[in-house]
Amino acid sequence: MAVQTFVQTVARTLMQEMRRDDRVVVLGQDVGKRGGVFLATEGLFDAFGPDRVIDTPLSEAAIIGAAIGMAVHGLRPVAEVQFSDYVFPGFDQLVSQAAKLRYRSGGSFHAPMVVRMPAGGGVKGGHHHSQNPETHFVHTPGLQVVYPSTPRDAQGTLRTAMRGEDPVVFLEPKRLYRAVKEEVSDDPDATLPVGKGVLRREGDDVVLISYGASMAETVQAAAALAQQGIEADVIDLRWLLPWDEELVLERVARVGRVVLVSEAPRTANLVSEVAATIAEEILDMLEAPPVRVTGFDTPYPYAQDRAYLPGVNRILYAVQQVLEY
Amino acid sequence: MITDSPRFEPFSPDPHAVISESGEWIAPFDLDLDDDTLRGMYRNLVLARLIDERLVRLQRLGKTSFVAPGAGHEGAQVGIAHAIEIGRDWLYPYYRDTGLVAAIGWPLEKLFGQMLATRADPARGRQMPAHPGSRALNVFTVASPIASHVPPAVGTALSQKIAGKGDVTVCTFGDGATSEGDWHAGVNFAGAQGAPIVFACENNRYAISVDLNHQTGSGGIAAKAHAYGMPGYLVDGMDVLACYYVMREVVANAREGLGPALVEMAVYRYGPHSSADDDSRYRPAEEVAAWRLRDPIARLRRFLERRSLWGDEAEEGLRSEIAGELDEAVAAAEAAGPQDVDTLFEDVFAELPAHLERQRERYRLARRAAGEDG
Ligand SMILES: Cc1ncc(C[n+]2csc(CCOP(=O)(O)OP(=O)(O)O)c2C)c(N)n1
Repeated sequence: MAVQTFVQTVARTLMQEMRRDDRVVVLGQDVGKRGGVFLATEGLFDAFGPDRVIDTPLSEAAIIGAAIGMAVHGLRPVAEVQFSDYVFPGFDQLVSQAAKLRYRSGGSFHAPMVVRMPAGGGVKGGHHHSQNPETHFVHTPGLQVVYPSTPRDAQGTLRTAMRGEDPVVFLEPKRLYRAVKEEVSDDPDATLPVGKGVLRREGDDVVLISYGASMAETVQAAAALAQQGIEADVIDLRWLLPWDEELVLERVARVGRVVLVSEAPRTANLVSEVAATIAEEILDMLEAPPVRVTGFDTPYPYAQDRAYLPGVNRILYAVQQVLEY
Repeated sequence: MITDSPRFEPFSPDPHAVISESGEWIAPFDLDLDDDTLRGMYRNLVLARLIDERLVRLQRLGKTSFVAPGAGHEGAQVGIAHAIEIGRDWLYPYYRDTGLVAAIGWPLEKLFGQMLATRADPARGRQMPAHPGSRALNVFTVASPIASHVPPAVGTALSQKIAGKGDVTVCTFGDGATSEGDWHAGVNFAGAQGAPIVFACENNRYAISVDLNHQTGSGGIAAKAHAYGMPGYLVDGMDVLACYYVMREVVANAREGLGPALVEMAVYRYGPHSSADDDSRYRPAEEVAAWRLRDPIARLRRFLERRSLWGDEAEEGLRSEIAGELDEAVAAAEAAGPQDVDTLFEDVFAELPAHLERQRERYRLARRAAGEDG
């Protein structure tokens, strides 16, 4: 078994899939010789050359748009947007073209493609290197959205995304790129199912739900609670669209108390959708109203980089609130 | 200061230069700058270089999180700074333009306040380092997304045109920026409207690792001006006087209502793309070394020395004077102290809306519950 960081696993999975399927091409800024600014495409250029690993001009519209055209012509493109904050010049291509292609052509065209992008804060990057744009994507019917938090999940979900038939926005928590190493599978077919979350920890007192970069603080908060004798169930959603309603409703119905954590801005946050679904479906099973711990409704600040994030203390404060309700 | 401009040919195959590598005046017109102005330009070149070196040191000490080195770009930046009317014209710079904002006289305490995100930063620590801006000097606050400032720059130029006072806008960017849709949208609009704007490209031949030939099939940047109905000039960006004279001419043209221009300044970035980059992965050390021999500071110094306007003693004096100014500015920026946590909720809108007030209050309570300050 290989022991790898998140970003190493991304590079290895891309390498394995490119070996397995010669329709897979990688394109983006600095993905070639440089191996990507985070080294997520390291080694690919040497292994597959400039036809399959394309250093593009500095245009996200060109990257995402060209990926669509490649996909309809039979390739399996994996586009990299250098930071999720820079998807917006290519947003039109994602929203107007990729997301609606299958629907508007009655199924005669579709674009099996993955758009990878590092997301999230805590790296002292200011608002244009820290944002969490997932709401835009989950709000765009036709896009699948994934935001894994561990190397093993990155491996399985990236492979599933690359083998799927629909456009997938693949968000990578950049502050966890090198935070942990763990064993990842050597099975070149290791995949994870679309739309399935995972239970990271089991407990009877409160359910904590999060995904992506915030999983780190959520798991830390659960550990801190355990020290106080409070046992938390911890759900990592992993897939944001579709998200795992079954798992969420089952666990929350069992425990009756839930705190939802996401570092994206609060308004129309994906966890607001999850909370609304909980309220609609299982209100009578709740012991307390669901509480959200999110990023603030401000642009991501530079000087207060860490303060913006839903840190452990803010999560604990919310847990206290639902327990004391 | 602005006298009749010499006339430069647009779309020349070779870059315009007015002083040779060895420092001789080679232009077909007479130099019309006095000695103090020439020494002032030299000072700004050295200032830019020393700020750069200081920032690298501050980054290594962990005092700033990010540096976008400008060494090698000084000729272009100082040439631009001297060609505009500071406080009257507008500047839309990009993140590598620290030398440009220093050369137009943005106070060094503010400059370092921005880099260190202390209370000395007029932008209140909102942006990462290398993102300056000054309302007082008409410097539009820098945004990271490449080329996103180009259409706004055109809008400012159009309002200058409507105002009819002969003010102009200068918008700078790298070669990579010319691939973005926003760049083309803005430049095209300026061409269609005859907006009083100069697009100045600091072409260092790389966008991080992507070299110019992978960036565009045009071969260069100036050629792109053809398509938008404006003149495009290729200038030796290591020759600060050439940058100055070409800029002076196109700025004067824009002032007179002759419309926009695109100026490509052939420069080189001596350092990595940023403090997070390792340039040895994509460009040969010999290439960097060859460009180092063409240093814009050394070139102007040779020119000044030929005219007996400069020497070792003056150089030493200047460097220690600037070093002292930088010490003071960094100390003042640091002494201003860090930003308050709560200010992160301000300036989203003119007034703090109720929902943000609630978020701020709740955050205070959570901090108090955790025994944190504030
Ligand atoms: C829209 C957008 N995409 C990607 C980036 C990431 N990025 C930052 S600088 C840079 C290269 C810019 O190159 P160039 O315009 O040539 O300017 P230089 O840095 O060489 O001065 C890239 C790709 C960005 N800032 N904005």
